[in-house]
Amino acid sequence: MVMVRRKICWAFFIFFCAFICSMPAAGRSYAQSTQQINLKKCLKCHPALGKELASKGAHAPFKNLQCSSCHNPHASNYKHLVKEQIGKLCTSCHKGKKEKIGKKYSHPPFEEGACLKCHRAHSSKNRKLLVAGSGELCFNCHARKEILSKKHKHDPAKKGKCLTCHSPHTADHEPMLKKSLKQACASCHSITSNKAQKSHSYYPVQDTKCTSCHNPHASNHGGLIKERSHKPFARKKCTQCHNSAQSKNPLAVKGKGVSVCTACHPSVSKDFRKVNAHVGRGVFCTNCHSPHTSDELHMKKAKETKVCTDCHQDTKRRLRDNKNKHKHPSVMEGKCSDCHRPHGSNFRLFYGADEITTCTGCHKRHASFTHPVGKGAIDPRSKGEITCITCHNLMGSRHDFSLRFNRKKQLCIQCHKGY
Amino acid sequence: MNMFRRGHLVIPFLIFLLVIPATALCAGKGKIKHLTSITKNSEIGRLSLLSGLFFDESRNRLYVTDTTNKRILAFDVDFKFVSEFNAGGALVAPTSLARNSKGRLFVAEPAKGKVLFIDIKQKSVRPINFSAVPKANAVYPGNMAVDSADNLYIVDKANQRVLIFDADMRFNRQILVKDGNGLIDVKVGPNGNIYTLDTIDGAIRVFDRRGNLLKRFGKKGKDKGEFNFPVSLAVHPNRMVYVVDQHNHKVLAFNKKGEFVLDFSQLGWREGRLHYPSYIYINKAGKIFVVDRANSRISIFE
Repeated sequence: MVMVRRKICWAFFIFFCAFICSMPAAGRSYAQSTQQINLKKCLKCHPALGKELASKGAHAPFKNLQCSSCHNPHASNYKHLVKEQIGKLCTSCHKGKKEKIGKKYSHPPFEEGACLKCHRAHSSKNRKLLVAGSGELCFNCHARKEILSKKHKHDPAKKGKCLTCHSPHTADHEPMLKKSLKQACASCHSITSNKAQKSHSYYPVQDTKCTSCHNPHASNHGGLIKERSHKPFARKKCTQCHNSAQSKNPLAVKGKGVSVCTACHPSVSKDFRKVNAHVGRGVFCTNCHSPHTSDELHMKKAKETKVCTDCHQDTKRRLRDNKNKHKHPSVMEGKCSDCHRPHGSNFRLFYGADEITTCTGCHKRHASFTHPVGKGAIDPRSKGEITCITCHNLMGSRHDFSLRFNRKKQLCIQCHKGY
Repeated sequence: MNMFRRGHLVIPFLIFLLVIPATALCAGKGKIKHLTSITKNSEIGRLSLLSGLFFDESRNRLYVTDTTNKRILAFDVDFKFVSEFNAGGALVAPTSLARNSKGRLFVAEPAKGKVLFIDIKQKSVRPINFSAVPKANAVYPGNMAVDSADNLYIVDKANQRVLIFDADMRFNRQILVKDGNGLIDVKVGPNGNIYTLDTIDGAIRVFDRRGNLLKRFGKKGKDKGEFNFPVSLAVHPNRMVYVVDQHNHKVLAFNKKGEFVLDFSQLGWREGRLHYPSYIYINKAGKIFVVDRANSRISIFE
């Protein structure tokens, strides 16, 4: 009886001591909480790091030989024996970056905690431990060809001074702009000068979006006007769609709603007379198309993926999810309209035809040789017909061939129970 | 020794304390049960693109639109097939449907930009007259609802508004969902309030009979209780609001204050699971009907 009580008391005492000892570490970053030991030992096996130590821009914990502030010398759940996921590890010291998380837009690598896409962990010859100089760094992922191959370039873009307009981590304005689009442009360009007013046919464009006509980076056309122009715009026949510049409401369009577009494009109306249609309020064509200029086919406002995912936000998250690494090539290339009809469709999910016809349009071999699909091929689980998407999830899957289940383990036995 | 034995009692007691709240939480989820499903069979044949659904309380009939097959299917209270109907070939691509207390059937035909008004007794099919509707884009009729006074509510997707027609099919008024984005569904609650759902901003709006906005709740996101792609809503007799999240293959439920309460079902092919569900309807008995579009069936929950 007394023995049991003593054991309980000891257990409680040990637990209490452990709790008290752990308290000082709470709330500290990894770098602050780590016991300092002689870490020159690390360099014995990792001598290449020795050269980086001498670098002027070395990361402070690295410079001070505090390897264990980020790495666990024995074991870890993460690559390179780091103590935490990279994003969490970095923000444990770089609190300022953590606070920026509340902003409306995030640079995807920052959002994903992939700090090492832009920064080096130990040292760099560039400021802020950047992998490359700021302009060169951005061009690693963004539009190098699109900008540098064009005849006319916006000065900051030409010089690689992307941060003149953009914020690298988070921003309140799209696309990662430091200021609102209007402020970003107006901080260098005046729209009130006589020359500017004349070139805009005296329409009051000061409150409009400059990038609806101008490419902010580069173009082959003067004034950085985008590559393709709507015919009335190119001919400066603004009054074909708008009221005159001298009228009370010059920017308003003529006619009711979408009739301003269908008056010249009557055949498009049929596309929207479908069971599923992308119709909306007012001149809904401009939800996806630019009425003035565009760098994209069919005068799309932006690249197809962006046009679609601006509304289909959950699809955007899915596309960015690295776990779903097996995606249909059209999904990877952002060609949503390869399978979906953007105006309207009489088939589910805006497909151009039924699922089997949609798929076999490209996968011709599967039209004649495949697991039975279509009429007569019944999924025993749903009692419905088996189609291509019964087994494949083309928007992204963790399994080969965008299969819904692992083909070596679970896929076939979903239906073929006997095996 | 007694202490030791008591110690043995303490452990089960602690487990009991932990387990009971957990099971209580799970009990909330278990309230919604899958009752049955309506799938293709030899009587009704192949089901194509299923769209609208309406339960006629006075006749205890369930009506379903089989859009690509250009027909309306009727089922009895036990969900046994009764008959099919194509209005003498007048249906081209019927989507949403509703029926008033006089037995008149309303069928949306967005491909024609019309809502057909079918009087089965008189065997007549006429389009509802939209000439009194304020001019904007041509009406694109979406989902519909009927209230206890036989007023008909039609979602006009091309103008982001709800058109309201009285029991005599005369245009009465419109409710503009001004700051909305992607108006897709309308239902009338037991107290006469009008509920709308927007797909793009994921907002449920509650209007009074006069069209004054009373409440707005729901949002898109990836957290629990948030939507991926909401496409339809229904109001339970207890005023709980159920919303179908098509891309999440789930139904989410909110209480009358707009607070998230529970969700049920998940992506799947077996009965009780959903694959791109597209529409929800709840009858007065509280049965929840879900059009499970990619599984080509109607799933019924309670």
